[in-house]
Amino acid sequence: MVAASLSSGFGVWNPLIWLLVFAIGCIIAYVVWRSGVSGFRKGTGQGRPYLSGNEEPAKGDVHIRAGNLYWGFTEGIKGYYQQVVPLHTGILADYLLWMFCVAGVLLVIVMVI
Amino acid sequence: MKIPTSFNRSLWVFHLNTGSCNGCEIEIVATITPRYDPERFGMRLVGSPRHADVLLVTGPVTRKMAARALRVYEQVPDPKLVMCIGTCGQSGGVFYDSYNLAGPIDQVLPVDIYVPGCPPRPEAIIYGVVKAHEKLERLEAAQ
Repeated sequence: MVAASLSSGFGVWNPLIWLLVFAIGCIIAYVVWRSGVSGFRKGTGQGRPYLSGNEEPAKGDVHIRAGNLYWGFTEGIKGYYQQVVPLHTGILADYLLWMFCVAGVLLVIVMVI
Repeated sequence: MKIPTSFNRSLWVFHLNTGSCNGCEIEIVATITPRYDPERFGMRLVGSPRHADVLLVTGPVTRKMAARALRVYEQVPDPKLVMCIGTCGQSGGVFYDSYNLAGPIDQVLPVDIYVPGCPPRPEAIIYGVVKAHEKLERLEAAQ
């Protein structure tokens, strides 16, 4: 039966009571919403934070975005990245050239020395 | 636009300095002291334009402050009033021909109430707030 109460050591569960509480909550929320300022215009300055009249900067400009989990890591070895990142041109021929150069050096080390 | 009934008993005021010499600010602070105590009528200074009904603007509008004044004006919820405190906001005052002025306040924002004086006395500022109340009552009656 749908409306049956479930009693256990943790309390009582009845879906009808739960729906009733949910409906009362919705009514209270609607009443609070209705008593708000009717002139509020969404998407205008009325909804933006007050920063002494200054324009709100982009979130990434004032704090580290949550998506940038590796910020501490990259900041810690920034000097290394500054040297290595420009070498990554994205051109396959450059990478092959690097591979041949390194292979050549290794060959010299292994065969000669 | 419907004027909320909360206007009947209180006016929350946000103060914006757009280039004032601080003379008007001193008088505004004097106005909210216990000697005059406008808070007994529900009038108080608030820290954000988003909580305010009235924008109290002092000083002529400098070029740097023009965009910021507009931004603050947009942040005040409707219906709102703009009060211009002091001579500088009305005409530029002694700074009228300064190179860095965008103009008097009414060239940047729509001003509802002017309170003249350099600086105006607290009684004049309170009188201006009373005029603001009267204007709101007229608006309400017209609805």
